[in-house]
Amino acid sequence: MSKTKVKNEGFSSRSGNQKRSLFFSYILLVILSVIWLFPFFGLLMQSFRSYATEYGGMVDYLIPKNFSLDNYRYLFSGETNYVRWYGNTVLIAFVTSMLETLIVICVSYALSRMRFRGRTALMRFWLILGMFPGFLTMICMYFLLKQFGLTQAGAVPGLILIYAASSGMKYYVCKGYFDTIPRALDESARIDGANRAQIMFITILPLSKPIIIYTALTAFLAPWCDFVFASYVAFGHDKSYNVAVAMQRWVFTNDYQGYFTRFCAGGVLVAIPVTLLFMALQKYYVEGVTGGAVKG
Amino acid sequence: MNKKTNPISHFFSMLGRDLKDIGVTIADGDWKTKISCLILGFGPLLRGQIVKGLAFLGTEILFIWYLLSFGLKYLSKIATLGTVETQKISRRTVYGDNSFLILLYSILTIVLICLFTLIWRMNLRENRKEELLLRAGKTLPTNRKALYSLLDENFDKTLLALPCTGIFLFTVLPILFMICVAFTNYDKNHQSPTNLFTWIGLENFKNLFSFGGSGFGSTFFQVLAWTLVWAFFATFLDYFLGLAVAMLINKKGIRFKKFWRTIFVMTIAVPQFVSLLYIYKMFANDGLVNGWLLKLGVIKHYIPFWSNPMLARITIIVINIWIGIPYMMLIATGLLMNIPADLYESAALDGANSRQMFRHITLPYMLFVTGPFLLTQFTGNLNNFNVIYLLTRGGPQSMQLTGNAGSTDLLVTWLYKMTVTDTDYKMAAVIGIMVFIVTAVTSLVVYNRLPSVKDEEGFQ
Amino acid sequence: MNRKAVSILAVSAMAASMMSSTAAFADDLDFSSVSEVKVWVADAAVDFTNAQIENFKSANPDFADITFTVEAVGEGDAANNMITDVEAGADVYTFAQDQIARLVSAGALEEVAPDIIEALTTQNDQGAVGAATVGETLYAYPITSDNGYFLYYDSSVISDPSTLEGIIADCEAAGKNIYMEINSGWYQTAFFFATGATLTYETDDSGNFTAADVTYASDEGLAALKGIIKLASSSAFQNGSSAGDATNVAAIVDGAWDKETVQQLFGDNYACAKLPTFSDDNGNAYQLSGFGGFKLLGVKPQEDDAKLAVCDALAAYLSGEEVQTARFEALGWGPSNINAQQSEAVKADPALSALAEQLAFTIPQGQYPNEYWSLATGLGDDIIQGNLTADSSDEDLLAALQTFQDTCISYAG
Repeated sequence: MSKTKVKNEGFSSRSGNQKRSLFFSYILLVILSVIWLFPFFGLLMQSFRSYATEYGGMVDYLIPKNFSLDNYRYLFSGETNYVRWYGNTVLIAFVTSMLETLIVICVSYALSRMRFRGRTALMRFWLILGMFPGFLTMICMYFLLKQFGLTQAGAVPGLILIYAASSGMKYYVCKGYFDTIPRALDESARIDGANRAQIMFITILPLSKPIIIYTALTAFLAPWCDFVFASYVAFGHDKSYNVAVAMQRWVFTNDYQGYFTRFCAGGVLVAIPVTLLFMALQKYYVEGVTGGAVKG
Repeated sequence: MNKKTNPISHFFSMLGRDLKDIGVTIADGDWKTKISCLILGFGPLLRGQIVKGLAFLGTEILFIWYLLSFGLKYLSKIATLGTVETQKISRRTVYGDNSFLILLYSILTIVLICLFTLIWRMNLRENRKEELLLRAGKTLPTNRKALYSLLDENFDKTLLALPCTGIFLFTVLPILFMICVAFTNYDKNHQSPTNLFTWIGLENFKNLFSFGGSGFGSTFFQVLAWTLVWAFFATFLDYFLGLAVAMLINKKGIRFKKFWRTIFVMTIAVPQFVSLLYIYKMFANDGLVNGWLLKLGVIKHYIPFWSNPMLARITIIVINIWIGIPYMMLIATGLLMNIPADLYESAALDGANSRQMFRHITLPYMLFVTGPFLLTQFTGNLNNFNVIYLLTRGGPQSMQLTGNAGSTDLLVTWLYKMTVTDTDYKMAAVIGIMVFIVTAVTSLVVYNRLPSVKDEEGFQ
Repeated sequence: MNRKAVSILAVSAMAASMMSSTAAFADDLDFSSVSEVKVWVADAAVDFTNAQIENFKSANPDFADITFTVEAVGEGDAANNMITDVEAGADVYTFAQDQIARLVSAGALEEVAPDIIEALTTQNDQGAVGAATVGETLYAYPITSDNGYFLYYDSSVISDPSTLEGIIADCEAAGKNIYMEINSGWYQTAFFFATGATLTYETDDSGNFTAADVTYASDEGLAALKGIIKLASSSAFQNGSSAGDATNVAAIVDGAWDKETVQQLFGDNYACAKLPTFSDDNGNAYQLSGFGGFKLLGVKPQEDDAKLAVCDALAAYLSGEEVQTARFEALGWGPSNINAQQSEAVKADPALSALAEQLAFTIPQGQYPNEYWSLATGLGDDIIQGNLTADSSDEDLLAALQTFQDTCISYAG
């Protein structure tokens, strides 16, 4: 992927023609950017709308008449468990991310660097399993978790268990990465007397920083969005909710009228750290998805 | 892979060979091996293979304990899924059989029995191996070495043990369970623990394909059709528009490339339940967009973005572009850089303009390289729950649709509604199986036609 | 919590009947085995319920060691969650009456304790008792009779709230919206029952539907359907019934639970009225009708007699007159208890008096199968999306109504 190859466009003559086309390109980019950023801008604006003077429901204007921090204050006022939900989500995301990375790396390493009986059969079997829709098994998973006491009050560890347990099947991108590391490295390490575990930890993993970060990042992002399974496992126990479960009620449920601006405020607080993290690690994310796409 | 063998006959010839091997092991084996048929690990233990022997023996003891204390109790009721009804004793409730747990644990028990058979077979094979080694006058590996092998030649088993257990318990077992549910009458009127449910054969599948009345037939095919249409547009529109945006940013002379990309990438970074729920409100009949258009006098009557079926479908596809483009843009950006520059140079020498270059170089290259990716995107979109559910929850509904389905429902969102709102688990299970069939068929048909699969060398 | 002399008397009467119910068990029941009782109420009522449970505990020293956990689970979600997993569900929970048959057939509701039935049926209004009854059996404790709807309007926009045509004209002229959730089986009946069409079901004791009486496919049904279509075709019309989510609103058909929200929206122009009349093409006017609805408190079937006794006592307490009055004072929920309804404060509330006025035209909501609600959403959506319009011929409209009626009937038996 060397940068010297970036020459695929613009071989036409360097004239006013090209300048005009550049101009239009900028215009287009600006328009697209406005469209792309508009919802986030709206979200931010609504979150600052004063609850006291303009109420918290829907309005058909964008810029609040009075700016205030009412909605943010409400989130931290102790009237809701927002802080608790946030903490739950961070905890779930963090632990899931660690476990999932570990599991994905183990599986990918085994499937990429080792040859054993049933290897292709296993991969094919997992591919077929992946074709069943996840929601199909929701009720069954719920009762399985319940047998271990990991629903309602125990929903947080329960969710972590569920997310991590099936993560082995997400080996694809990571295995693709391992496949590109030359086998010669393994062989020379073997000659030095290393066993396979040592090769993995000493030789291969230090070379795999990008894919490890990619795996951890995607695993970290997923739990922030899960309102389906998380609500199914935690129902009736407010303290076990994650932000998505708790806050989608503010939009969908009639019990929470006038909570729209509060939803926006809560959403902003969720979006900011997640976005910052994502931006900081964007490079690795791009590497991961591109690699994954090419290997298909 | 390329050997054209019939998998079924292959399987049976394997099985035959295996049975013969078992016979030989037992007939030819010494008394230690023979006792090992009943007491697992007996042979290895006596031959000094303590670790291996204990592992086998431990498994057997655990297995028998499980069967006696737990498994058999449930397995014995699998034919009826329970017969003891819930009763009232004065005002106290005494629950009867729990069909759900009977089915779940029966399946678990059956699978564990199969697994145990495999372990029993492994135990025989180990016995045979040890015997042959000893007869050949060699020594057996030490216990230490057997353990060490788990970090070396058997390292794959160490790595895969935990992930496979997890997948078995929380993916395979539930899927097997739900497949079975499709053949029962498990629904809101037959709900554990209060009520029993039982096997009803193919009734649910008949219901799925029955037309008229409250049959699911016409609704199912309408939802299926929309699912396919949606997946098609969601995949290809995003693909080409994403490619276009990537080329726009990559264009020579455009500055701050990273800045532009970052703007688009925002939609991947911000959790969808935040962004999509806001957009849902934005396009509501009484939302921001309609409000502005009404105030500006562009329209006299609000535009029913979500409440008109056709418009709702279009709006969803359009908004999905907002979600989907950035993802494709990132991928395309990386790939465009990989196209060998000399291809363009020689084309330019031949006098090709940029449109021709796109048609004859960029596009074929991209399609070739990303073929399998497009396939996974397509199957992913077949099951794209978030976008649909956060935007319309499947609505608007219509009297022409049964089972609570709406005009923008995909099979998965319909499945979800059946599970959560209607607790119609039996039909949900049937729909789930249908989703599987659709995904599997699409994948099989398309995969074998992909240029990069047919012709591995292609563009290399 | 200011108590009035009157209510104290009533409380002691209620408490006496209640204590006798527990007293019957008290000799052989050991409450130390009961550790936790879970209670589900709407989010807005959590603090209120916690406070009331404290009162309940101090009135019943036997229950002092029991932990009562109150969780915010809305009346809509409660039924879904209870049915998903009865065991993990709450022991005592509130729900809207439309869920009762479903809950009974899923085994999520215990019958009301026999020794309190008499008190419940005489102290609450008839409609509420009917709503809590499935077949011949009383399954729940009524707590409010305010689950009906009426009209809120902005008196600066709407001059005369007595006819729908007038309201629509005023809204259109002012560029404001009129909200009614016509794709809800609950609000839709306002039109159908107004013209005299009927829709009722009969259930047996375990919550199964045995027979349906539906006359939507008739001249009456047609007139009602045309009325809905006329409303929906107005440029001022918006489909919805949550005041908190409404924008630019001048009139909304909504319930008493949104009272405070609407007050905030309309400020000084806040006004309430019974529902208006609507006219058909021949000039006949019909008074909009609808459902009178109720919120109920349910007790889950228990495997332990002692716990069941605790739950019964708690449900009886939370649905008693004193708590109903206090609930009105704290949350504005209109009581189902006849004595509480007579209190001056309740009578003076404009929303509740509009509701009371409307109640004369409504039909107490009986039991409806869950599928009915989604079918009705289908009919409403067909109108909103323009499958059924003012241009549709009578034959087409009647055909749609016939489908509706046939499907409704197919849910029974």
